[in-house]
Amino acid sequence: MLRKILLFFVIVVLCCRCSYSQWLDISNVKFRQEPTELAGPKIIIEYDINDPNISPESPAYVFVRYSKDSGKSWQFVPMDSLRGNGFDIVEKSGHKQIVWWGTSQTSFVDANQVEIRVRGIAMARIPAGKFVMKSLPGAGRDESKEISPDPDLPLYFMAKNETTISMYTDYLNEHGGEAAGWNERMTSENRCGIVRNDNGTYNVVPGRENYPVTYVSWYDAVNFLQWCGLRLPTEAEWEKALRGGLYLDGDAEKKKPNQMTERRYPWGDESPGVDGVFRCNFDSEEDGFAYLAPVGSFAKFASPYGINDLVGNVAEWTLDWYTTSYHAGLDGFRMVRGGSWMAVPAACDAITGATQLPLKESSIMGFRAVKGPKHITTET
Amino acid sequence: MMGTVGAAASLTVLPRSKARGAGEKIIMGVMGLGGRGTYLAEKFAERPDVEVAYLSDPNTRRFARAREAVEEAQDARPKMVQDFRKILDDDNVDVLINATPDHWHGLGTIMACQAGKDVYVEKPMAHNIYEGRKMIEAARKYKRIVQVGMQSRSAAYSGKAKEYIQSGKLGDIYIIHVFNMMQHPMRNRVPDQPVPEGFDYDMWCGPAPKLPYNPGRQWLSQWEYSVGPIPGDLVHQLDMSRFLMNDIPYPKTVSHAGGVNALKDGREIPDTQMVTFEYGPLTLMTESALWTPYMKKIPGNIRDSDRFPDWQFCSTRVEILGTEGFMYYGRHGGGWQAYDANGELVRSEYGRQGDKEHQDNFIDCIRTRKRPNADVEIGHKSVLLCHMANISYRVGNLRLEFDPQTETFTNCDEANKYIKREYREPWIVPDNV
Repeated sequence: MLRKILLFFVIVVLCCRCSYSQWLDISNVKFRQEPTELAGPKIIIEYDINDPNISPESPAYVFVRYSKDSGKSWQFVPMDSLRGNGFDIVEKSGHKQIVWWGTSQTSFVDANQVEIRVRGIAMARIPAGKFVMKSLPGAGRDESKEISPDPDLPLYFMAKNETTISMYTDYLNEHGGEAAGWNERMTSENRCGIVRNDNGTYNVVPGRENYPVTYVSWYDAVNFLQWCGLRLPTEAEWEKALRGGLYLDGDAEKKKPNQMTERRYPWGDESPGVDGVFRCNFDSEEDGFAYLAPVGSFAKFASPYGINDLVGNVAEWTLDWYTTSYHAGLDGFRMVRGGSWMAVPAACDAITGATQLPLKESSIMGFRAVKGPKHITTET
Repeated sequence: MMGTVGAAASLTVLPRSKARGAGEKIIMGVMGLGGRGTYLAEKFAERPDVEVAYLSDPNTRRFARAREAVEEAQDARPKMVQDFRKILDDDNVDVLINATPDHWHGLGTIMACQAGKDVYVEKPMAHNIYEGRKMIEAARKYKRIVQVGMQSRSAAYSGKAKEYIQSGKLGDIYIIHVFNMMQHPMRNRVPDQPVPEGFDYDMWCGPAPKLPYNPGRQWLSQWEYSVGPIPGDLVHQLDMSRFLMNDIPYPKTVSHAGGVNALKDGREIPDTQMVTFEYGPLTLMTESALWTPYMKKIPGNIRDSDRFPDWQFCSTRVEILGTEGFMYYGRHGGGWQAYDANGELVRSEYGRQGDKEHQDNFIDCIRTRKRPNADVEIGHKSVLLCHMANISYRVGNLRLEFDPQTETFTNCDEANKYIKREYREPWIVPDNV
């Protein structure tokens, strides 16, 4: 029997995003809907990603969100529904295709009201293997040589940069509403830079696109990352990202031994401002920044995996609880790592942790993304 | 050099701070930038009648969080110092907020009084009985306002509870039962380590021995630094018990039971403390522990609401037992409820926390020079109960008899060895403040 196959195309080309936003530059986004014989319609999404820095060591994390109602509401496209070479961890630049098998999700009633957004974040690959963790659970520290637990972590990916104001503003606009995670202090032009318009939309204060977002609570950070399909790093992941594993290519390869497994800072042991060389944005106006710095301003002093600003600029929320809190489990303190633009050099090192209540919104705290196993605990 | 910081501070014996006019801001410095110190710095900085000019902590890693909170709350940028004496040396500063670990409460307050500063000192007010007495003497000698951070005294519902009890509606009160149940984890045992860069550990130790630096040593569980994790929190309810009973002054005896029973991680100070104080016909009993997860402090959504805690599992309640009635009183704005002889609920009063009112009272007293709600003498008599309980434990859980005139024990010489600590030069609390 001759099957009647209804084939129709919808093509939408999205505007290129501002290259300063810290989303990776993704262009020529097109999609079309195709019926299948038994599984409902599928969506073919195509786009170009041409960042020359993308590689297996520095891949892109690509995720897709869609709207069925002309942008009024948006949904995350589950990675499990996708096939192709252009979603999740993408290791090569070029033309990409994603096939979205969604059945009911992809059975759009009015294709003209459908919008699809593809976004990418620059990540660093952190191979599976042991590393030296010198911080102790609950904000303790070990500066002796006596504790060297060498915990083991599986493969994970960490964002090369802190989440920017521009990225967060995109989230606010797509999420919508007062509860999205905006507060009045974000209008500060020195310490953040997001304004809310009368119609409920949000704008970046011009020139602030590439600065790290601040005044975000732990919950705001988690919500943003869930919107992307990502999560916060654990303390162990954060510390390994800074120091590097015992082998920078991981325990499976072991061809690139880490020469400084116990380094204090991403670049080595030198204090951030020693010898007139400023290696991060800490509490010194001589580093060139009285307040925040655009992300990646100290790229020369990145971690062994090429991750920027792990220390200084904004202190970063982590997943971990403050385990020795005298009110553990009641107050829910979370650990923050990495010092900030207001911190003394010693507070910007690999082992110093700070505690914060998760609702705290501060001009010295932001966050970055991790893609990895859902729950990672260190074996010490 | 007499070898005392009290003497060193005597270079500035005469109070130097000038009186502030009604429209002038009160200038403050904060000593100790942990959670409580940062909170107080932020709250006072938010006031239009206050400027926080200094933030001080021996550990520079603590600077950023407190500075950020203060800069968000006020226009002026505070000076960041590791040595709190820089605050005392500044004639423009009126007030020292002392939110240090317990071992610095006494000397920090005394030195501030000597330097002409009014003081807001966190609870537990003093590390030992002697020190508390000297704090009173310093406050009186230098005519300083010293408010202790026992804010429940300033909460309106506490005053109403006191009125209710003092009106006789519960009958004669013979038993007060004070709870303080918490959940503390076992500490991590780690080797001694080099002092981290940016941390003036010698200053942090101050009057206490300079033990090898060890980040796993929880100062809260060591006698040299602390009154203890239970007493440091329990003192709120003990103070409220005294307040509700019209500031009953001194118990005649103390008996402690308990010890380090559950959290055997090298700590010195007990994790279980059951204490009985005899005030003649009134008996005050405490039940307190660090290992009771089902007992909860009053949750945040109840503290400032028209709701009451689940009294049975409220870990910070006070029970007042009279001949005609019974009362639950809850700390943290938990309110209170009174029952008659038949067990019928006859009066309820919702609570609100008293932090802001306590800070208001302090500022008001700075201007009027009246005694504050939690004056240093009140603070001393409340924390004294904690010291008595600890000393009973330290001499083998003996029943000790107390002489209020001399503030010493009359039936155990060994107990009197714990009235005063050994001070480490030059951080010595002098006999003559």
